[in-house]
Amino acid sequence: MAEATEEDPRTRRRGPRSNWVPLGLAAGAVALLVVAWPLVNALLPGSESVPSGDPVPVGSGGGYRASLTFPQEGWALNTGASQAGHTYRFHRGPVRLTLNSVTPATTPPPSVEELWEGMSRLVRAGEASARLGEPEAISTHDGDEGLTGTLESGSRRGAAVVYPSPDGRMAVEMTLAGRDATTADIAAVADVVRSVSFTRENS
Amino acid sequence: MNHGSEEPRTPGATDRGSVPFPRRAHRDEHGRRHTTERAVDRRREHGQRLPSLVALVLVTVLCAAGLVFLALQFAGLARVFSAEAALAVFLGAVTLAFGFWVLRRIRPVRAPDLNASLTAVAWGLTAAPAAGVLANGGLSSIWAKGLGLAFSGVWGPALTAPLNEEVLKLAGIVLVAVAFPYAVRGPVDGFVFGSLVGLGFEVSENFIYSMNAVVQAGGTGGVVPVVQTFILRVGLAGLGSHWAMSAVAGTAVGLLAAAAWRPGTRRAVGAAALVALAMALHWLVDSPLLGGVPGVVLKVAVVFLTTMAVYFTVRYAYRRRVRRALASEGEALGMRRSASVALASRHGRRRELHHVARPERPDVERRQEQVLAIAEDRAARYTP
Repeated sequence: MAEATEEDPRTRRRGPRSNWVPLGLAAGAVALLVVAWPLVNALLPGSESVPSGDPVPVGSGGGYRASLTFPQEGWALNTGASQAGHTYRFHRGPVRLTLNSVTPATTPPPSVEELWEGMSRLVRAGEASARLGEPEAISTHDGDEGLTGTLESGSRRGAAVVYPSPDGRMAVEMTLAGRDATTADIAAVADVVRSVSFTRENS
Repeated sequence: MNHGSEEPRTPGATDRGSVPFPRRAHRDEHGRRHTTERAVDRRREHGQRLPSLVALVLVTVLCAAGLVFLALQFAGLARVFSAEAALAVFLGAVTLAFGFWVLRRIRPVRAPDLNASLTAVAWGLTAAPAAGVLANGGLSSIWAKGLGLAFSGVWGPALTAPLNEEVLKLAGIVLVAVAFPYAVRGPVDGFVFGSLVGLGFEVSENFIYSMNAVVQAGGTGGVVPVVQTFILRVGLAGLGSHWAMSAVAGTAVGLLAAAAWRPGTRRAVGAAALVALAMALHWLVDSPLLGGVPGVVLKVAVVFLTTMAVYFTVRYAYRRRVRRALASEGEALGMRRSASVALASRHGRRRELHHVARPERPDVERRQEQVLAIAEDRAARYTP
């Protein structure tokens, strides 16, 4: 057959390559990707400081953009562990501020109480022992209303907050806590959770 | 055409539908070369046993490790959002069952080996996505730190997934080819096993995306985010997803396996081009270019049509070789050319069986299989 003439003689002359070669290359490629990227990532510096007074965009949904403005100096963003538009992890000393921008999938959008309940379940999914306390009303410096309550788990104690955007198509959810943070540490920066702003996308 | 008058006639050899016993040894136009090749093949098969066993052990260990890793990753969400997780698993199982049936049927001539098919799907379901979570997490963070959070938020997926995920799936296809050397002997096999690895990966990724959608919806809306994810990823984008890209990359593995992993320059360049094409298609799907539903539809169309172009090219070449081998084999057995060539398709085999009395059909079917095995063996040996 014509097809037999092209490569067979060459293959026969050089002999087949041992199957160990593709096996080694495949295993090596998997090991390289799984080990190399996390290793390089661990070697790179992962934080960038966030100046106070400058609004940090933290997501959008419906017709609104959300931003957070830090009232204190000393906050830093963990860029490697954050995801633009969705999750932002800030820290200041032992205090950790985790912010999630969520976009409900249902119409009409959920009430703030339903958002609190959803956040409570998500916190439990992340840490089995974590619980949110009874929520109380809170408002941003701009007057947008939300709910806040205590966050308690086996390893940390702090506060949780949720603010729906004015049209309810998105919400900003935050937890302010830290494994090594004292009540005084958290109290010192507690007003950061009121510095969320919602602005219309086309304004 | 030889109607069997010059050959020692097997009873019923030229009767419609019947298939004589295949020859024990080939004495065709290749004559003695066949004998030499068989000796080489036997030595080669012997040399393949240990790597094959090691590959199988490695796949098993990595699949088990991947399954445990994924279970630990999503145990918390599945515990709290059990209804959502159960629905995501159910929709994944339906996708998997349907995809497995379709993708095994698209192999021309005969269905691919079942054990190799299950191994390919298992790799795609467990080891590859688990490794993908680790590798993507690392590389995404590198992009975020190096290029900034805003830029990586837009371009990160296109710069991460095509490299990590295509290589991880490709590694699985290679491991399947080493573990089951008799099942992956050419581009057609590479295409099919690649698509099966991609199918498994797609099903796992759909589950991960469903759980992420629940988180993104703030834990509200019940199963709505899961249903929306299914509609978007299977209904809208399913035709141009992981199964397709890995089928293209898998064709490269088939090309190399057919040359006993020692390709000539042309074949090596062709294989590299196919892997690069799979990565490019993945990049297109993940890039922020062409957004919105029309953009997604266009991207899916590009991926699907490219994959089909690869499929029909390798399918045409393979069927032609199998038909030629069947014609030669049938001629030596005294079969009608049309009857022997008809065995190349499932429909043709069924049609030929209908010409045989019912009690004889199991025997004839067995002989059809034997003749096909010989013909496919010859077709694989001469893969260009």
